[in-house]
Amino acid sequence: MVELRTPRKTSKATKMDANGETASLKKRKRELKEETTTASQKRQRSKPTKTQPAANGTVDDTADSQESTLFENKDLQTTNGDLELADASNALTTRDTSAWKVSNPMGGRMLDIDPIFSLDERYLLITYNTSIQVYSTEDSLLVRRISLPVTKLDSGAELSSPYIVASALSASTPDFLWVACSDGRIWHLNWTTGEGAETPFTIDVKKVLDMTVESVDIRDKQEDVLFVLQKFTKSSAQIVAYDVKALQKKAGKLIHTYDENPQLLRSAAGGRLIVAAAKETLHIGTLKSKGKTVKSVDDLEYAFHSFGVPDLVTCLDIRPTLQTTKKGGVEIQFVDLVIGCARGAIYVYGDLLSKLPGNVTKAGPIQPRKLHWHRRAVHSVKWSEDGNYLISGGAETVLVLWQLDTGKREFLPHLSATIENIVVSPKGSSYALHLDDNSAMVLSTAEMKPTTYISGIQSLVLSDKPSKESLVRRVWRSVDEITTPLITTSNPINPSQIFLCVGNGQQASSTGNAPSTPLLQVFDVSSFQGVGKHPIARTNPTDANMTSQGAPIIEPRVTKMAFSHDGKWLASVDEWQPPERDLEPLLTGSKTTCEVSQERREIYLKFWEVEAEDSSLQLVSRINEAHFTTQSETILDVVSDPISSRFASLGTDGVVRFWSPKLRRKDGLASTGPEGQQLRTWSCSKAVELPAYGQLEEAVEVSPKTPRSGALAFSEDGSVLFAAYGPSSGAVVVVIDTATGAIRDTIPNLSRGEIRGIEALSSSLILLSEDLTVYDIVSDEMQYSFALKETSGAAKQMTHLAVNRESRSFAVAAPIPNSSQEKLKKGAKSELVVFSVDEEVPQLIQTFPQVITAILPSTNSAGFVAVDSAAQIWSITESGEQAQMLQPLADINMEESKALVAPVDLAAEDGEASDEEMQDADEDVEMEDDDYDVHQAVVAPQRLAEIFNAAPAFAMAPIEDVFYQVAGLFSTRPSTI
Amino acid sequence: MAAEVQPLATLKLPTVVSPITAEQRYWKSFKNQKSHTSTAAWPISHISFPGSSNGSAASHSLVAAAKANDLFAVTSGPRVDIFSIRKRELLKTIGRFDSEAHSGEIRADGRVLVAGEGSGKMQVFDVGTGTRAVILKTWHIHKQPVWVTKWSPAELTTLMSCSDDKTVRLWDLPSNAPSRMFSGHQDYVRSGAFMPDRNNLLVSGSYDSTVRVWDARAPGGSVLTFKHADPIEEVLPLSGGTTLLAATGSAISVLDLVAAKPLRLITNHQKTVTTLSLASNGRRVVSGSLDGHVKVFETTNWNVVSGSKYPSPILSLSVIAYGAGHEDRHLAVGMQSGVLSLRTRLSGASAEKARARATEDALMVEGATSKLAKIDQAKAKRKRNAVSNKSMALLGENVDVIIPTDATNSAGGRKRRVKLKPWQRDFREGRYAACLDSVLDFSSQEYQPVTALSVLVALRHRSALREALEGRDEVTVLPLLKWVIKYISDPRYATVCVDMAFQLFDIYSEYVGGSTELADQFAVMTGKVSREVEKAQMAIITNGMVESLMIGGTEA
Repeated sequence: MVELRTPRKTSKATKMDANGETASLKKRKRELKEETTTASQKRQRSKPTKTQPAANGTVDDTADSQESTLFENKDLQTTNGDLELADASNALTTRDTSAWKVSNPMGGRMLDIDPIFSLDERYLLITYNTSIQVYSTEDSLLVRRISLPVTKLDSGAELSSPYIVASALSASTPDFLWVACSDGRIWHLNWTTGEGAETPFTIDVKKVLDMTVESVDIRDKQEDVLFVLQKFTKSSAQIVAYDVKALQKKAGKLIHTYDENPQLLRSAAGGRLIVAAAKETLHIGTLKSKGKTVKSVDDLEYAFHSFGVPDLVTCLDIRPTLQTTKKGGVEIQFVDLVIGCARGAIYVYGDLLSKLPGNVTKAGPIQPRKLHWHRRAVHSVKWSEDGNYLISGGAETVLVLWQLDTGKREFLPHLSATIENIVVSPKGSSYALHLDDNSAMVLSTAEMKPTTYISGIQSLVLSDKPSKESLVRRVWRSVDEITTPLITTSNPINPSQIFLCVGNGQQASSTGNAPSTPLLQVFDVSSFQGVGKHPIARTNPTDANMTSQGAPIIEPRVTKMAFSHDGKWLASVDEWQPPERDLEPLLTGSKTTCEVSQERREIYLKFWEVEAEDSSLQLVSRINEAHFTTQSETILDVVSDPISSRFASLGTDGVVRFWSPKLRRKDGLASTGPEGQQLRTWSCSKAVELPAYGQLEEAVEVSPKTPRSGALAFSEDGSVLFAAYGPSSGAVVVVIDTATGAIRDTIPNLSRGEIRGIEALSSSLILLSEDLTVYDIVSDEMQYSFALKETSGAAKQMTHLAVNRESRSFAVAAPIPNSSQEKLKKGAKSELVVFSVDEEVPQLIQTFPQVITAILPSTNSAGFVAVDSAAQIWSITESGEQAQMLQPLADINMEESKALVAPVDLAAEDGEASDEEMQDADEDVEMEDDDYDVHQAVVAPQRLAEIFNAAPAFAMAPIEDVFYQVAGLFSTRPSTI
Repeated sequence: MAAEVQPLATLKLPTVVSPITAEQRYWKSFKNQKSHTSTAAWPISHISFPGSSNGSAASHSLVAAAKANDLFAVTSGPRVDIFSIRKRELLKTIGRFDSEAHSGEIRADGRVLVAGEGSGKMQVFDVGTGTRAVILKTWHIHKQPVWVTKWSPAELTTLMSCSDDKTVRLWDLPSNAPSRMFSGHQDYVRSGAFMPDRNNLLVSGSYDSTVRVWDARAPGGSVLTFKHADPIEEVLPLSGGTTLLAATGSAISVLDLVAAKPLRLITNHQKTVTTLSLASNGRRVVSGSLDGHVKVFETTNWNVVSGSKYPSPILSLSVIAYGAGHEDRHLAVGMQSGVLSLRTRLSGASAEKARARATEDALMVEGATSKLAKIDQAKAKRKRNAVSNKSMALLGENVDVIIPTDATNSAGGRKRRVKLKPWQRDFREGRYAACLDSVLDFSSQEYQPVTALSVLVALRHRSALREALEGRDEVTVLPLLKWVIKYISDPRYATVCVDMAFQLFDIYSEYVGGSTELADQFAVMTGKVSREVEKAQMAIITNGMVESLMIGGTEA
């Protein structure tokens, strides 16, 4: 559904030129061309599509079968009537058979669900928004990623997309995991093999709210019973128990119904106790033991009591103490319960059962013990293994250990982000924390030192559930949409690293008008771990993150970032403006708070020296007001020269500045660093004022207050800089000679509306506004142009353009316009279109189930990398390339290896600690040895590293070659071990 | 993991007025000016000391000799005065010249002196013994005035001369005739030098505007010629022997002998540059000019790092080094008016002593005994530490592990955690008002305006400025107002001061009626701001006028 636009060249002849003779020459040339009239040009341009069927039938096929929902199609029938309109439902799958391929996504965001320790504490199972990932606690490496088809691809129109609500380890068979999705699908996964993702059980409910799993004696056999908290009507919910049989029949045993909307369900002691929390009420259910054996779930009967608690419950933990009965059975002796609340208090209910009204022995008022240290909601509270301590955490980024006997608190302060979940390991020797910056760590309880650290990609996501903070009305509101693109760039010297601008966790960064992103995360896509975080704008993790009025402290937002061509320098732009609530006393005259805030805006252009070894950054220069009029002006774009160490920036003051390094001088002397190395400083070497549009065409009057948009692009040889700049009523592309700073040419009327991106690729200029225009600079004519569909303001921000010089192609990504949704919230989708620069037929049209927040060309290979709003990374490659990017090697190798080689070899094959396969393997050959020792004794890790780190993941040799290399390493091993 | 608590970082302000640099401080430390007027106020034409042409090239015996030397020679009119470097006193005067003397140069061993004169005679005097100088040797080969006589840095008996008869000659002390004569200059030769490290190379500069390099081994004329626009007044080879400076007119040209091309033209002087001298072991070059300026250049990019002005045109100067380290000792400048200015820099221990004495004197005058006692205490502590360190150092020779004391661990020990200052702790713990009070206190020892500014900016970032300003009484609000009044005119402080002033007006304007002090301060502030506004308007008007002139200029 590609619409060809009439090339816009009509106004060329009337254009006024600012520079002398060469321009007039060009002008004459253009006038000559003008004689051929636009009509003939149109004919010319539309010719290829007409002639193609005759010349090459296959190309036409792809053109027919491809269809983009991004571009307008209203003229389609008229221009190209023989194209079929595909029906609306097929928008999601790739209909493309051409050279381009999209990989499976990697990464994702950890959900607010307790991470799960395997029983031997060797693995940590973390629930992500689209997958379950198994990590080894010994070396923090990803063992297995079990992808779950959470978002059903065929439910295109549905906005409230399903999400995972709970996951729990099977109580009777610890190799299995139960995962519940909000739409009623329940997976029964074997996490040691990854089986079971394809065949979920489905229960017929409106919405699943929570789920717990207990092992219950059914016919003298331990079997898993799932307690599912599900929505019944708008204001009531049910707890239903299922076992495997009941799941197959889709009919469980209704245990309890309430008129409130409970959000939490916990159970303990083999299902003898279940606790549900609904706003300010707790429902405690105890199993009625009738003395007879339970034959099926239908025999489970519970007695429920409910009582009010002082505050909104955000989290709870049960600690039952069991005792053996005379008959040899087990019964609950007493139960301790702790709840964390939305206003920061923690309430401890000791020996709760005896205080319940139904209990005949001693009924009394239920009086909890209150512990209050947290300023905001308690995100998680847990009992320690021995019950003497409570461990709690929240947005203060402090882990608090409460010694219950003495009331003494101990703190582990200044963690990197809000503590979301705390889990005490089965043996009680370590705590697993899940933090809001998409990381998880395992702390040993003795030294409180991290033994495992898992750091995922930290980009902003559209979350499924509101944060626990938002249960209470606060003076600020967190943002539930993504309004600004993720600022990201790849490291030119280390292609496996990408740099993302992130905040101190998702919640902390979505508190202002725009996300505050003062940190730079270095993310290694080959190992899929965050390598490090550097503060590149003001941030202080050790200071309180809220004011005394309770408002969050807004940190600066990085708006642009660019590496120099050799990767030695990084330029970044960050913006901060005081929140409007602070500015009431500063109002004078007729100014609005918005204007006052703008006047006090702090915009810094910073230049960093990048250490080649560890990608650490050293601030070299900070330019306070790089672009200014009477106040600091927004910097619209920063680009780097592809040839030399030089940057160019464009601001809303209409000036292009070139920045270059020079030796740092102190009083005329070259200053040196501590090791005697020469220090450099960056300064503006040239400033070019762009001609205002009004000067070009007198007819158009534009007030200086109209917002301007703009973008910059260097030509590939760095000799020319293209600057697109102007108000949305008419932006101009200015061609600047980078050596002299002279304006060589101005090209008006290439864009429509706001400029969103400009790129140069050989002689073509690609301009993205409301149109996508490809313009040939040398022949001075438009090659082709598409019109983008009208989109909302936020969607405009999320339109991306990226160019890959290796494959001479460019990619455009934009949210799919959705009439029922103004903002980019959960459920919004994106589409990505890849063009080769010479052909106006798209190479690939692909719909993504999430909004693409950033797209960047992959370094040194022909492809693109996209980051989406679920914190996933996709790689888009030409299939000629061997781009097995981001695939956990464990999975691939295991799949292939089973057929090829004996499993023993495989087990040790991947460096990513596939001990699990080892176990399988060991069973096969009946080995007693500790597999891990064998693993280490045979092959030194660096030998494996040599193979796997030879190239970044997506540029690596075919996986088969890698396999044989690895197999070669192991082939010397005697097979009799 | 848990991050370490960092104190609030101080802002780095853009530099407005250039502060005094270390280099300037160094050249300013040439103090204790001693002026010596020559007899009959003859202009001081030459100042030299042995090894001034850089001792690095000299043989060991010469270096040793130069170390022992304590003499420098000042030529003025028909006399050569010999001074002591150590005592800065005139030791003896040689007046046995028929006409004007030139270029009195003492040999590196400090025993003999050579000088040329207007008649063309060259004489060698014994200066080592006695009060009267004995003439050891006289040559009268040059028929025109001899302007340069220089001892070879490598051999004790070799010297060169340059004369107005357009020749450069090389002499051996015992022989009566020159061992070599170089001709080729078209005009008076007024400057010359041996190239250090290249014993056979000589360089000369002439009024025919050329600098010529001669090789004693090669027959014939000059091996290298650099042509300039103006007469050459002075040549100065740099140590290393590849770079050469030549004073040509009001400029100094930097010549590279290896590449045989000029590197650079330094045009910092307004009038003819008359003299050049090396300083700081060859890392700096000092130039003097008829415009009365002495400028100090660094030798990599030839930037001026320091400078000073003298009352009369400068004819000669020398930075006299002394002692084992060849440290700069005196800056000797000879002027047209016949005044020799000697400025001396105390070095090392003596400088320290002088400083301590000065402070003690000053305090004694004031009668501040308590402060004196403090200084004494500090001195005693330093001494104790030094003693304990010394004993540690001695211990170190036969023990394996040295446990550092407080004083020693700063060098290589582990990083000590920085203790937060009271105001930093106040800031961290949210007592913003207390923090602001302590950083705005003018009378405090640690008061620094930039600290106050850092705190205020941080308060703005933390949305806590109003909180810090609220709830004060008359006594506690006045310091804030005074601070604002003091700094509101500084452009670097203006934005923060304006915000603060707005907030103060907003909070406290209702109390103005009840407090005259407050009303006064607000009035002062208003006055200051309106004066600033007037200035700004004036600046805008001026800018407008200049702009219209500029437009007129471009159109014309």
